[in-house]
Amino acid sequence: MSIAAQPIDETGNERTPAERRWWLRSLLALIVLVPAALAVMSYEDIRELLRNRDFFAKDVAWGNKARFGGSDWQLTDLRAALGRADIPPEVVPVLVDLTVTVGETDLQSLWLSCRIMLIDGTGRRWLPTAAVSFRQTDDAMTCNSAIFSGAKGGDVLKIRETFLVPKDATATIRPAVGVASERPGFLLFQRPQN
Amino acid sequence: MIQRIANIAVLLLAALLCYGMQTTKPHYADLTAPIPVYGKIGETIQARTFDIAVDKVVFARTLKFDRFGQKKLLTTGGIWAIVTARLDARDRSAMVAAATWQGPDGLNYRASERTSLAAGALPVALDPGVAGRTRLVFEILPSQAADALLLVSGKLAGPLDSEARVALGAVALQADGVPEGTIETYELSDAF
Repeated sequence: MSIAAQPIDETGNERTPAERRWWLRSLLALIVLVPAALAVMSYEDIRELLRNRDFFAKDVAWGNKARFGGSDWQLTDLRAALGRADIPPEVVPVLVDLTVTVGETDLQSLWLSCRIMLIDGTGRRWLPTAAVSFRQTDDAMTCNSAIFSGAKGGDVLKIRETFLVPKDATATIRPAVGVASERPGFLLFQRPQN
Repeated sequence: MIQRIANIAVLLLAALLCYGMQTTKPHYADLTAPIPVYGKIGETIQARTFDIAVDKVVFARTLKFDRFGQKKLLTTGGIWAIVTARLDARDRSAMVAAATWQGPDGLNYRASERTSLAAGALPVALDPGVAGRTRLVFEILPSQAADALLLVSGKLAGPLDSEARVALGAVALQADGVPEGTIETYELSDAF
C-alpha cells in the first residue's frame, strides 16, 4: 500500500485498521451524543418554560365538573356587570364564578401560581383586574386567597374573579383555569348555555 | 527543531487568542440586555407585550398633588418633566412597570417615586382592547431636557424582553436654562 493512500496521524505513523475502526465509531457516536447532550442540558429549561405556560386546553362542557389540581372545578356563572358610571361604555366588567370541591388539600403546592383567565375567539387573554371591584358575599374568594384559606377535603369553595373586557370580545370569551401542577395543560370552560 | 518552534508558536497564538476572547467577552448583563424598539414622540411603538404612543411632554417648576386629601406642593432643584402616553396591551393582559428618562449626556432618571401615588403612575396593568394611559413624572436637570430618550419596559429588570425607546425631540432652552414653555405649576389631577 502506498503512503499517499493511507491516512497519516500527527506523529507520522500510519493508522492501523483497528484505529480507523475506532475513529469511525467515535465519529458516529458524536452524531448521537451531541444532540443527546443538548437535550439533557436544555431539559430543565424546557420543563420550566412549560410549567409557566398554559398551552394545551382541556375543554369542559357547561355544567360539568373537571378534576384539576386535585380538586373538582365547575363554572357556575359568567356575566357582565353593567351600570358602572366610572367605567367607559366600550369596556365591560365581567364576573366569573367558579365552584370548586376540594379533593386533595395541599393547595399551596397543587394550586401554586393559580391563574384564572378569559380567552376570546381570536385567542386574546385577559387576567383578573384590580381596577374595579364589586361588593361580594363573605364566602367569595379569589383563586390565590383560596390557596391560603385552609380548606379541607370536601369543602366547597366559591371563587370569583373580575375582568375588564372590551365590548366586542364579550360574545366569545370563555373562562379558563391554569395551575402550576397541571401546566402546560389548562381547563377551558364552555360558556353558559342559557 | 523547526517542528518544535512551530508548536511553541501555535501554543502562543492559541494563548493570545484565548486572552483576546476573554477580554472582549461581553458582560452577561449586556448579552441579556433588553431589546430596544425605537420610535418618535407621537408614533405608536410596538413592544413585545404592549404598544405605547407618547402624546406630549410638559415641563414644570413645581407640582401640585393631592395626597390622601392633603394638598402637596412638590418643588425641585431641577425641573419636572411630565410625559403622558397611551398604552395598549397586545394579545394578553400585561404590565408596564418601568420608565427611564435618558438625557442627551447619557444621564438616566427613573420615574420619580415622589409622585408614585398619583393617578397614572407606574405600574400600570393593561388588558387587551381596553385603552390605557400613563402619566410619567421625572425630576431632571434642565440640561437633560432636550433630545432625551424615554425608555419604557414591562418589568423593572427585563432581560431579553423588548424596551420601547421614544425619541422626545428637540427642546429650545430659555436664557435661564430651563426649556421654553416651562410652566410654573403642574397639577397632577386624577384626569389627564
